[in-house]
Amino acid sequence: MFEILKNKGRIEGIAKVTGKAKYSAEYALPNLAHGVIVGSTIPSGFITNINIEEAKQVPGVIDVLSYWNKPEVSTFDNPEKSKKIPAFHKYFHTTKINYSDQPVALVLADTLEDASYAATLLKIDYKTEDFNVNFHESLKDLELKPFKAERGNLEAWQNADYISENEYTIAMEVHNPMEMHATIAHWTAENKLSLYDKSQGVNGVQWNLGRFFDLPEENITVNSEFVGGGFGSGLMTWFNTVAASLGAKLIERPVKVGLTRPQMFTMVGYRPTSWQKVKIGANKDEKLLGVLHHAAHNQSKYNVYSRDLSGITSKVYAFENVKRFTGYSPLNLPIPTWMRGPGDSSGTFAVESAIDELCYKMNADPVDIRLNNIAPYSMDSGKPWSTHYLNECLERGAKEIGWDDRPNQPKQLKDGDWYTGYGVGVGLWNASRRNAGASIEMKRDGNIIVRTAMTDIGTGTGQAIVNMTHEFLGIPREKISIELGNSIHPKSVTQGGSWGLSSLSGAVDAASTALKRKLADYAWGKSEVTKLDAVILSDSGVAFINDQKKSVSYQDIFQKYNLNEIYVEEYSNAGGEEEKYAFCSSAAHFYKVKVNVVTGKVKMDRMVIVVDGGKIINPQAAANQIIGAAVGGVGMAMREKQEVDLASGRLIGSDFAGYHVTVNADVPIIEVSFINKPDYNRNPAGAKGLGEVGLLGSAPAITNAIYNAIGKRFTNLPVTPDMIV
Amino acid sequence: MSHSKNENTFSRRFFIKTSSAFTALALVPHSIKAFYNDIKETYFTKKVVLPIYLKINGKDYNLNADSRTTLLDLLRENLNLTGTKKGCDHGQCGACTVHINGQRALSCLSLAAMMQGKEITTIEGLANGDNLHPMQEAFLEHDGYQCGYCTPGQIMSAVACVNEGHTKSIEEIKEYMSGNICRCGAYNGITNAIKSVAK
Repeated sequence: MFEILKNKGRIEGIAKVTGKAKYSAEYALPNLAHGVIVGSTIPSGFITNINIEEAKQVPGVIDVLSYWNKPEVSTFDNPEKSKKIPAFHKYFHTTKINYSDQPVALVLADTLEDASYAATLLKIDYKTEDFNVNFHESLKDLELKPFKAERGNLEAWQNADYISENEYTIAMEVHNPMEMHATIAHWTAENKLSLYDKSQGVNGVQWNLGRFFDLPEENITVNSEFVGGGFGSGLMTWFNTVAASLGAKLIERPVKVGLTRPQMFTMVGYRPTSWQKVKIGANKDEKLLGVLHHAAHNQSKYNVYSRDLSGITSKVYAFENVKRFTGYSPLNLPIPTWMRGPGDSSGTFAVESAIDELCYKMNADPVDIRLNNIAPYSMDSGKPWSTHYLNECLERGAKEIGWDDRPNQPKQLKDGDWYTGYGVGVGLWNASRRNAGASIEMKRDGNIIVRTAMTDIGTGTGQAIVNMTHEFLGIPREKISIELGNSIHPKSVTQGGSWGLSSLSGAVDAASTALKRKLADYAWGKSEVTKLDAVILSDSGVAFINDQKKSVSYQDIFQKYNLNEIYVEEYSNAGGEEEKYAFCSSAAHFYKVKVNVVTGKVKMDRMVIVVDGGKIINPQAAANQIIGAAVGGVGMAMREKQEVDLASGRLIGSDFAGYHVTVNADVPIIEVSFINKPDYNRNPAGAKGLGEVGLLGSAPAITNAIYNAIGKRFTNLPVTPDMIV
Repeated sequence: MSHSKNENTFSRRFFIKTSSAFTALALVPHSIKAFYNDIKETYFTKKVVLPIYLKINGKDYNLNADSRTTLLDLLRENLNLTGTKKGCDHGQCGACTVHINGQRALSCLSLAAMMQGKEITTIEGLANGDNLHPMQEAFLEHDGYQCGYCTPGQIMSAVACVNEGHTKSIEEIKEYMSGNICRCGAYNGITNAIKSVAK
């Protein structure tokens, strides 16, 4: 349980700044063994033999888990059940290799040193097969298929006054949260599994492991109280969780499996490499007429993930004509997955770049053309936006960055070798809401504990719950504590997709209402009070607004009914509002860059981001989240690139020396502000979700600013100094 | 246990070759196997456990540690001081930053056995009882974190950054804090926290 915050910041803040916060690899279990995963060195073929003799001579080594000695699991005796287990959970149930570094063995030892050393001594024989890891080559044979129904007519705008067409590529990007994925698996009884796991959703892990071991969900508990970042890498249940559980079963000891940083590049997903071709047209009145969007990304041979990059194309602007084609190339590469702004951040880069290019052709202002073409309603569904303030984001952002100082042609602002430029990019994301649960337990002293299975991956979920509970109930913040990220608490959707807070607010509201109901019934008799809105909880008791006489203390209630605690538990989901409205969050990114044409350095001079995320529940953490996403945008635009060695099929930049992420000095102090208008149609808190819009639009704002500075249009990300000079 | 002086003259490849050769000869006489085992005992690198004395957060520790153990793994796995984080194990991310004799250092690149007699401070030793260090307070106030995983390393670096005097401007702070990656990107809060303490 988090300490009740006595001073400032987030409720879990003290745990984080003192080192007391426990992440998944940090629980000291008695008799804990260490497991090190060994990956294949070939990208395609079969394992024919694993010689473990030498490894087993290492003192401290307990066993080596692989295809040849995996513990028996009843699921695999039943073909129907076995079929439902995804292939990427069955690496110890197959000898087939589909990508380099596919897990083939787990070395189990008393200490990490013993296990790590022994892992280098396995001798693995393979039968190799042909492989394909070349995404761009694979496009030649890839047939793209229509994506969604065509809107309008492609022919209608082919003779538009202005047309712009370009191809775009984005390199493979890897989430790389600072906490490396880790699992501690402990069979506490024959059929009971306790897991400490780095995950964005404990109930997902519970479900997956239940299915794998053919056990009821309640036999599996998953603790992810502190999660050291995710960005999507913790949405799936990955093989390290399965491997640790199998290892613990094999040696009948708790087992910890921590990935190494190189393994973080191959075992827990990434944003796939993508290719797009976008053609857009506009008329003389600066009206965007139509868009033709082709898109493709790589998959793994384990065909788990596909995401249409052009989904966003029909949402932001009022294109009357939209036609899209999409395709996926299954290659001998690790499994890609959702990464912050999945699909849309790639699609947005292409469309926002294309609009910028068009603006220069037609001598239009990139802010004006956006303002004049924002979709007035959801053109996908035909429903009105519940709330949508992208126009205000654009207007405020333009003012704050000093858009009027932007030259409308490139290469105008020069100081020695440095050129200055301004760019804008827009992001939009569905503001969705899903199932979530929360419970509230009140103690005699009026202190309450709010519990939910939802995780906090760094977004500030805990403090947001405190703020919402305080607002819904009136109980002072210092009397509210939080327990989260554990499957023993009320079930909740995985945290991701910008829906965490939106979903949770419904559950916290419902639980708050239930608590009020219970207290009112105790205080004044069953169903005496019909208007719960008028009931307010203070630090000492329950009262009616403006009626002090009707106040009853908690102490009296607990005494009278001989209670130890009062407990309520509620669940909520999106309701009828989705029949009536479309929902979205949005952001406008305004960046000013300085580009050195001799060294190729691009300096982010100013970054201004204005966001419509509905009501802001936790202003400091909300701004922080947007800042962090934009830092990711700088990485996407100019740093992050996972290279694939075409000869061996292996990844090249598998650490922070080979794969560059944005560091502190790469960004200025980023300026974030919020429109902060509630959307109560969406949920009781009026919040719309912020996780993605800080990234969406960020990368094109950078490349658009670079164009404004030096007149070079970059359509392949990342843009590195060698490309500038 | 002791190292052989000659250990480096025998490669692992040699070991593997001889090892498999002997495995193949399953029927060799016992005396030869024993002789081979003697050679292995004498010449090949093996686990060495050393007695070491460490001073961590003002407390004395007399331990037996694997000679291969890094200070980071010793803290996390042996002493349950998990505030020091492992972010890469390669000295590339700064999550494992501690103070060694008052200087910031990467505990993942420091062998525990080489820390004999040195004064080590980890995040757990920064606060004075319940009174947080001003830098910890500043990180709370400025929201200098999100997920919190890089935070102990950031704070240990931040304290050193102030002590080193590298806080004359926002740019200088950012430069001298760039060895600590925050993948959540909470760089505004980190930088502002340090600026507020350095004043």
